[in-house]
Amino acid sequence: MDNLQFLFAGFAVFWAALLVYLLILQGRVHSLEREIGRLEERLVESTEAADRGNEATAAGASERVAGRTVEPSAPTT
Amino acid sequence: MSATLAVLRKDLRLAWRDRSGWLAAASFAAISVLTYSFAFDLAAQDVRPLLPGVLWTTFLFAGIFAGGQSFQREAEQGTFDAMLMAPVPASAIYFGKALSNMLALIVVEVALLLLATILFDTTLITADLILIVAVGTVGYVSLTTLLSTLGSRARARAVLLPALALPLLVPLLIAAVRATGASLGEPAGTAPWTLLLVVFALWSSVGAALLFPMVVER
Amino acid sequence: MNVPRALTAAVHGVYGLRWLVLPPATAIAMFALLVGAVIAAPREIVEGEVQRLMYIHVPSALMTYLAFGITFVSSLIVLWKRDMRWDAAARASATVGVIFTAITLATGAIWGKPIWGVYWAWDARLTTTLVLFLIFSAYLLARAVAGPNDEQVARYAAVFAVIGALDIPLIHMSVSWWRTLHPQPIVFRPLDGPALPDEMLLVLMIGFGAIFLLVLWMTSLLTDAERLAQRTEALRARLDREDRG
Repeated sequence: MDNLQFLFAGFAVFWAALLVYLLILQGRVHSLEREIGRLEERLVESTEAADRGNEATAAGASERVAGRTVEPSAPTT
Repeated sequence: MSATLAVLRKDLRLAWRDRSGWLAAASFAAISVLTYSFAFDLAAQDVRPLLPGVLWTTFLFAGIFAGGQSFQREAEQGTFDAMLMAPVPASAIYFGKALSNMLALIVVEVALLLLATILFDTTLITADLILIVAVGTVGYVSLTTLLSTLGSRARARAVLLPALALPLLVPLLIAAVRATGASLGEPAGTAPWTLLLVVFALWSSVGAALLFPMVVER
Repeated sequence: MNVPRALTAAVHGVYGLRWLVLPPATAIAMFALLVGAVIAAPREIVEGEVQRLMYIHVPSALMTYLAFGITFVSSLIVLWKRDMRWDAAARASATVGVIFTAITLATGAIWGKPIWGVYWAWDARLTTTLVLFLIFSAYLLARAVAGPNDEQVARYAAVFAVIGALDIPLIHMSVSWWRTLHPQPIVFRPLDGPALPDEMLLVLMIGFGAIFLLVLWMTSLLTDAERLAQRTEALRARLDREDRG
């Protein structure tokens, strides 16, 4: 009995289903990547903002040191 | 027990006040039977082989659409959380709601049987048929009431509820259609359909009552 | 050290080995299965070449139950322990189960056309598998309406999975009373042993092992992805709270 084309179709379906699984997995990985990218951006933003804040307080402290001799307080992080 | 009755009274009052929803379900059921009559030309042939399927698909769809709104009003008005915080066991809340849905649906179903009796000249208001309809209603309303707790996600629920409920209700649909057919004198095979219907009703009501507290827990 | 904790530790230990064991074992088993199914196994006299689909169809059908079994147990643990980690396992195993149910249905239909003359027949097993496919597709839909850390929807989905799994015996009973064309089981026959020739039986056994490993690997991979999604989501929620507070 020659029904090789059905055997071929069956195996094709099997591999296609595994491909669908890989696509689902890739979708998950992709959204994770985006999510982590967003988290990183926010981290960078908040550290930059903190750095600017620190520079400002440090400058203010040195002015005060120049004006009066006051011990500068340790910059808060 | 008394808590269940109190909840049942509240839910029946709510169903009465909100009767437009149930009237919509009843008119949906009536129009569905008319649509089937046109689609399958039920007037021209012996209606009995098709009638059980027509009736039960109508019951199930009407039940799913009407029962799907079980907790909608409470969720919208925020009284659902209040009810959960009240010193009432969650299973009492469940039983009250399920019983009120069942009563309302049985009214709709008997009205539909009456309509079909007139339309198709087949006696449908018989004791064993009403018993089959009642047991079947217990079976599917238990599950649709449980599934209608898909919270405040109203849009998702309207689409999802039929997709969630109908595959679970396959055994009930088969058993109910065969049992109804048997009571109309159709050949239904030797399988104990009524027993399966009773087993399904017990399984779904006990399972749903046990699982309901876990779904609604905050 | 009490027994549950020892058990948990053992499970964690075995689970930790998954990257070491599963990829090579699955690769070897799948290679053996494909060589066995396509080349090594003898050609069936009556059914011809298409019979070779059995070596993926039957194991896929059985391992569907493994996947949905994991979904069932994980859902019970979600309800019992309120541990969202098991929700990740439930979602992953349900996805893999749905994929293998689809494989089972499709390979069965493709085999059915030349052998039965029709792609689909309303036989009890076929119908049960189809309903199973619908139930767990609906599970995935219901779970997908909310984010990975929504405990309310996770519990709802878990309840649905438990009900769906417990419904399987009733579905099977009702549809087998309703219709019964599928070849009877030929491997797990209680009395006179399997009815397959030895070479075919060997390839089929390799198939069970290979698909078993494949399902486990696919499930654990997807579980890890879902788990990572939960963790990043939780991290973002925490950052949001800190920004506001």
